[in-house]
Amino acid sequence: MIEVKNVKKNYGRKQVLKGLSFTAEKGEITCLIGVNGVGKTTIMKAIMALTPINSGEILIDGEKIRKESFEKITFIPDTITMLPQMKICEAFAFMADFYKNWNFQRAEELLQFFKLDPTERIANLSKGNTAKVNMLLGLALDADYLLMDEPFSGIDIFSREQITEVFTSHLIEERGVIITTHEISDIEHLIDKAVLIDNGEVIKEFSVEEMRENEGKSVVDIMWEVYQR
Amino acid sequence: MTVKFNNRDPVYVQVIRHFKEQIAKGYFEPGQETPSRRELANQLKINPNTAQRAYKEMEEQGLIFTEGNMPSCITKDEAVLKSVREELIMEAVDLFLGSIQSINVPLEEVLELVKKKHEVKSGEAEDSK
Amino acid sequence: MKNYLKLVNFEVSRFFKFYLILIGLTTFSQLIGSIIISQVYMKNAKQVMAEQQFSMKQYIEKYGTFSFYQFQQSEWFLLPIFLCIAMLMIYVFFIWYRDWFGKNTFIYRLLMLPTERITIYFAKLTAIMLLVLGLIALQIVLILIEKQIVNSIIPIDFQSSFSIYDKNSLEMWGWLYPNTFSDFILIYGVGLLLVAVLFTAILIERSYGLKGIFGAILYGLLSLGVFFVPIFLANFYTNYFYPLEIFLLELVACITVLGSAIWYANHLLKHKIRV
Repeated sequence: MIEVKNVKKNYGRKQVLKGLSFTAEKGEITCLIGVNGVGKTTIMKAIMALTPINSGEILIDGEKIRKESFEKITFIPDTITMLPQMKICEAFAFMADFYKNWNFQRAEELLQFFKLDPTERIANLSKGNTAKVNMLLGLALDADYLLMDEPFSGIDIFSREQITEVFTSHLIEERGVIITTHEISDIEHLIDKAVLIDNGEVIKEFSVEEMRENEGKSVVDIMWEVYQR
Repeated sequence: MTVKFNNRDPVYVQVIRHFKEQIAKGYFEPGQETPSRRELANQLKINPNTAQRAYKEMEEQGLIFTEGNMPSCITKDEAVLKSVREELIMEAVDLFLGSIQSINVPLEEVLELVKKKHEVKSGEAEDSK
Repeated sequence: MKNYLKLVNFEVSRFFKFYLILIGLTTFSQLIGSIIISQVYMKNAKQVMAEQQFSMKQYIEKYGTFSFYQFQQSEWFLLPIFLCIAMLMIYVFFIWYRDWFGKNTFIYRLLMLPTERITIYFAKLTAIMLLVLGLIALQIVLILIEKQIVNSIIPIDFQSSFSIYDKNSLEMWGWLYPNTFSDFILIYGVGLLLVAVLFTAILIERSYGLKGIFGAILYGLLSLGVFFVPIFLANFYTNYFYPLEIFLLELVACITVLGSAIWYANHLLKHKIRV
């Protein structure tokens, strides 16, 4: 379980996270929802210790992040994290070099699934294919937790379709996934839990299936309710 | 197998309904193996946890059964199969009646229209074959 | 340790193409230069001897011999060295900033490696030192070759003897090529110190943004201050300290500066860095 507890963060005088708390379970897809600029990406960076927080605590399976944690939890930002001059296969070699939990077999499988050419240079890839390679680099690690920043934004519908397919497959199963999005309607069926964020705070955290069952409301319905207030 | 889900009903309920329709139509035969939980999630583009939930419910309702480590199968229980079909028909009839009653049409007129329409549609279906 | 070596290898190979260009330019310029300078000298000498009916001895008496030093003072020799120094100085900064800027933010990957983050710092530091030492070694080899070239063009009688440590040789030379092992350690140790302090200053800027620039400058001045304290002491209280005492004080100062640079960089990378 990933626990984000009362996290506060300032950028200069502006407070971007105002005591934000939520949890994400293993084996579930948790979706952070909010318009751009409410601090979704900042939370992910904070979880990965890529940006400092002013107060609060973030625990991964009850522990603070340390170097070993990076084999347990991995982050897929919205830009690719490899050098543009590298070929896909070179990027794989780099990952395999440093991560004990790099899963060659899965990397190959994903390469075929996404129909990518391993000898292609990252700089020459289309936007959609770059996003796929970026995602592949995270998915091919045998990590328990995956954080993905806006995996569906800014790519063509075919790439979207393929990435959606990844979410319903064994590549995600059993893992804990946190994704951010500002556009929920297309992926409502994919997620287990929604965390609505506005202005640096969690304004509602709920299980989407329970919400449908008990109140007959979709995530979008809830968003209308809470954001209209 | 693609299903259009709405966002307000629980997805697992919609999955069960989809199964019932398939059974009623005869696409799923009694005793036929069902896709694994993972396959189902992948086919319907839903969360694997939801697929799991749907299977659990269906098992409780007796729609599917699992023996040991074998894949789940559609029930062979005639009573259950029959009730599925009846349930779907009744649901459709109820829905239909609801809309008809709200516009106050006499039953005879409606039944006549239904018959005609049905014949035309079946005819079209025959022609297109 | 294994990750450190892999990262060093990775950092060096990232710069390698450009490094080869630097090596190529230096080699090309210096070799061509040594040929041209020698030929010009010989042509000139022959012309003068022919016109004025001088013997070789008379010519040398009047115009002096050719010293290798003349070549070393030429643009052919010096410009590529300055270019290399400038490029490596720039790369001290670029080795960090290139990971933050551009479409592909590689710093995410580096900071998410399952290894202590200070390893990245050590790897980059090592890479810079290796690149510097590589160029130094290249220069030694080039000088040997250039001497051969000069000798093949200018008869040995026209030349004055030359050693790298010629007393009228460039002052810079003594810095680049210290003649004792302890000087070598001293000079390159101070170089390492300088790069480490610059690295930490860069990380301060990367952690605190605009405010960090002031912090980085302050930190740099402070480190410089600590470094110079023993030297000030030695100048201020002349004849008060033994040279060994000054040396030991300086050693302590250097260890303090280096230690604090590493400690602070480690702290920043762990808790303060932002991407």
